[in-house]
Amino acid sequence: MNRQPGAIVRRAELRLVLIAVIFAIVGAWTVSITTPKEIAIHWPDLRQTAALSGLVLFATLFWSLTRFSGDEILLPIVSVLAFVGFIVLVRLQPDLTRLDDRLVGLDSRQAIYISAGIVLMVGIGRFFNYWHLLKRYRYTMLLMCIGLLLVTFFFGTPIGGAKLWISVGPIQIQPSEIIKIGLVLFLASYLEEHRGLIGSTWKVGPLRLPPIPYLLPMALMWGTSLVILVVENDLGSALLLFSIFLVMVYVGTGRSYYVLLGLGSFAIACMAALSQFARIGIRVQNWLDPWRDPLDTGYQQIQSDFAISSGGILGVGLNNGQPWRIPALQTDFIFSAIAEELGLLGTLALLALFGLLVARGFSIALSTSDPYLRLVAIGLSASLGVQTAVILGGVLRLIPLTGITLPFVSYGGSSMLTNFVIAGLLANISAQRRRGRIQ
Amino acid sequence: MRKLLGLLRFALVGVGIGIIGYGLTLSVIGSQGRWLLCLGSGGFLIALGLWPTAHPDEAEESRPTVNVFAAIVFIFGLLALQMARMQIFSSKSLAERTGIDPFSGDVLSNPRAVNGALLIKRGTIFDRNGVVLAESAKRRGIFDRRYPNPNASYVCGYFSPLKYGTTGIEEAYDDQLSGRELVNPIQDEVDKLLGRTPEGADIRLTINADLQETAHRMLGDSIGAVVLIEVATGAIRALASNPHLDPNKLVAIDLDSATAATAYWAQLNSDPQQPLLVRATDGLYTPGSTFKTVTASAAIDSGTAGPTDVFIDNGQLDVDGHIIVEENRPDDSIDQWTLSEGLAFSLNVVFARVGLELGPDRLRIYAERFGFGEPIPFDVPVVTGQISASPDFLQNPAALADTSFGQGELLTSPIGMALVAATLANGGTMMRPYLVEAVIDRDGMEIETTEPRLLRNVVDAATANTMQEMMVNAVESGYATNAAIDGLRVGGKTGTAETGSDMPHSWFIGFAGEKEPEYAVAVVFEFGGISSQGPIATARQILLEAISAD
Repeated sequence: MNRQPGAIVRRAELRLVLIAVIFAIVGAWTVSITTPKEIAIHWPDLRQTAALSGLVLFATLFWSLTRFSGDEILLPIVSVLAFVGFIVLVRLQPDLTRLDDRLVGLDSRQAIYISAGIVLMVGIGRFFNYWHLLKRYRYTMLLMCIGLLLVTFFFGTPIGGAKLWISVGPIQIQPSEIIKIGLVLFLASYLEEHRGLIGSTWKVGPLRLPPIPYLLPMALMWGTSLVILVVENDLGSALLLFSIFLVMVYVGTGRSYYVLLGLGSFAIACMAALSQFARIGIRVQNWLDPWRDPLDTGYQQIQSDFAISSGGILGVGLNNGQPWRIPALQTDFIFSAIAEELGLLGTLALLALFGLLVARGFSIALSTSDPYLRLVAIGLSASLGVQTAVILGGVLRLIPLTGITLPFVSYGGSSMLTNFVIAGLLANISAQRRRGRIQ
Repeated sequence: MRKLLGLLRFALVGVGIGIIGYGLTLSVIGSQGRWLLCLGSGGFLIALGLWPTAHPDEAEESRPTVNVFAAIVFIFGLLALQMARMQIFSSKSLAERTGIDPFSGDVLSNPRAVNGALLIKRGTIFDRNGVVLAESAKRRGIFDRRYPNPNASYVCGYFSPLKYGTTGIEEAYDDQLSGRELVNPIQDEVDKLLGRTPEGADIRLTINADLQETAHRMLGDSIGAVVLIEVATGAIRALASNPHLDPNKLVAIDLDSATAATAYWAQLNSDPQQPLLVRATDGLYTPGSTFKTVTASAAIDSGTAGPTDVFIDNGQLDVDGHIIVEENRPDDSIDQWTLSEGLAFSLNVVFARVGLELGPDRLRIYAERFGFGEPIPFDVPVVTGQISASPDFLQNPAALADTSFGQGELLTSPIGMALVAATLANGGTMMRPYLVEAVIDRDGMEIETTEPRLLRNVVDAATANTMQEMMVNAVESGYATNAAIDGLRVGGKTGTAETGSDMPHSWFIGFAGEKEPEYAVAVVFEFGGISSQGPIATARQILLEAISAD
């Protein structure tokens, strides 16, 4: 390759990142001056925002300097999303501290997670060159994912009624976030390898069944999702993983028949679980009518409804609302806080950003010639889209509430790092457009 | 064919929009299932109508990718619709929804919607010396109301916007305290832009928290009330009621405090001592012998009798078969008593005779002038007393005789009785009693200052002076000698009001000053017994401290 000396200019990215930085500084400044008098202006928060802004600027400059030719829209979008989450968390921090001693310094920790995430994204985007390894060792990866699932199942720390976490010393890891990426990588490799079998079906009596290589993982996935749903009480992860699975099988095979079969069977299984397990029944009840038990199980959902509806079109303004009344605000319900204080305009803008991010991911997928990378890109983009839809649908009471995070916005290290890794992988794929097929 | 397909798509979208539009009109309460059905089916039809058709250049293998992306866009569209529903179309009914917990019966409602009152920095209420009686402080983003003074704060009433409303000064001056009265529309907009918290005006009361404490120290556990008035102005310096509620426990700002307030409210309502009754202004009592000051004033002012006029009191009086027994004579061998002695020794027969001479009409006119049966204008509501339940009652001589010495159907409040004493101490003119000295805006300017106002002339100055001498005589040589204070001129009248139960209410009204009367007082001990020593000691102490505080 004929290397030219010097840098390339990523002009679009730089401009968009500058807008993101202005957004962050204005947001942090707004929070700072609207904080009630008795709590002094919080310079550390402003400094943290400035540091994050500097890091994002450095990221785009670094990509320019190292002649990175990948997508120029991804970094600005995920930066704005992370800034929104961070600024809202800074605004909520005094309330959180007041309500619960254990919630001290979440904003600083989130700043660290975001910084680490950006570094990961920049590094993976520019330097990651091990797709062939990921492709080759797919079963190792699958085993690791199943292993993680089992570890969570047996040694998980139950938080809020669901076993979603593994404690490693002082750090808590949410394995479902990691499994999300592992599943995409495994399926992409697996489906790409077996694409020759697409046309062949076989009959058992009158039934036309898909070929065994499809039937087997589908049955396995179906079972695994149900185990997650029932044993770990984690409807969100089950729904997310199963959706990723269906999307990738559909895109990999082109058969909508499998999707319908999968969706139908998952729905039936959910119905069965609903009638068998009381705690899942409670979720459904809170989804349909939280006022059946307003002071106990329905309380969180009702408080979220109050917050969202109080926001109206323009919102009540940063620091003017009372979103702290919602329990578990910083993770599952951060969207309700945004809805109250930034209003419909804020929530629609946020949704549009997620839509743009997913669209960008699909556009990268379509312009990638390598079928494996294309499948990976579709799987990763779809996972972001589905995760957003599942948590927002839950918060907005379109579907039963699930305990998963809003990508890039919710508080949480596992989620933040994983999503930045996804963004980094997408950026990396976008830079491989003209490369040959990965063996 | 193509045209037909286009039309079909158009129709699908139209029907879909129609279904969702119908869904948006559904009530947000109780129709979640129907709304989801509308959104799902309408959204499905719209999606069918708008689903991207294959582009001629499109590679066949990218078709699933396009479909997946379209599906995600479709789901995001549903999310956006739901956001619009929650934040525009149904936002009001969703935000204002209230419900009852079927298990505990507690009410849950949006804390934001109800408590606009808690978002305002309500003004501080001070006593006349700057002691804080009520103040608002920000807690959890809203303003909590605290009442720091256990013996004086309750005079402000209570503030419980989420549960039990507001009372007292908190209610009467709500416009000023919440800042509604001060709103200058331009300033209001500027404040909003600057994100300033709305702030109410402060209020300075005429109350002296130290005297309030004295009143409670003297009352101890006794049920009763103390009212102390500055004679020249009508300013209320103490307005004590015992027992009283703790307003801190009724300020409900969130679920926890609302639950606690509910429990406290139930406790207040079931307490046989009725702590919710503000006795100083709302308690109705028979005045008993303290009313003799009114009868005597009427006799002197109307020229019916003078202080030295003699009346026969030989132990009992038969008025149309109604026997009035005299129990108060200090010496049963003496049958002739002056009006002044009758007041000093509280002789019922003397006053029955005075009343019969006055006649029903004159007694009624003077009693009304002293405030019996008349509404008393004050900064907080005062219960109106009565001369009699029916207008004809006094026409019966026996009833007239009973009323003349303070029984019959007479009823008054402690503040009403304090006004009688203050009027006589003030040369016969009744000053309008007041509790609020000034309203102060947030820049420290006094925007309303209460000027002392004359309410009405009740009796001539000469009559009042004579009455003062007679009341001073009662303290110097009558039954109220324990009220005397060295170096001060103290006048007073005891009272024992028959209640129909075994224990009568015991009263004392009086005044004191270095030369001219400076303060007037009324003290009642509910069911305090025949002896007026409790009220006398209380009145003496509070008069003494009031005068030495100046």
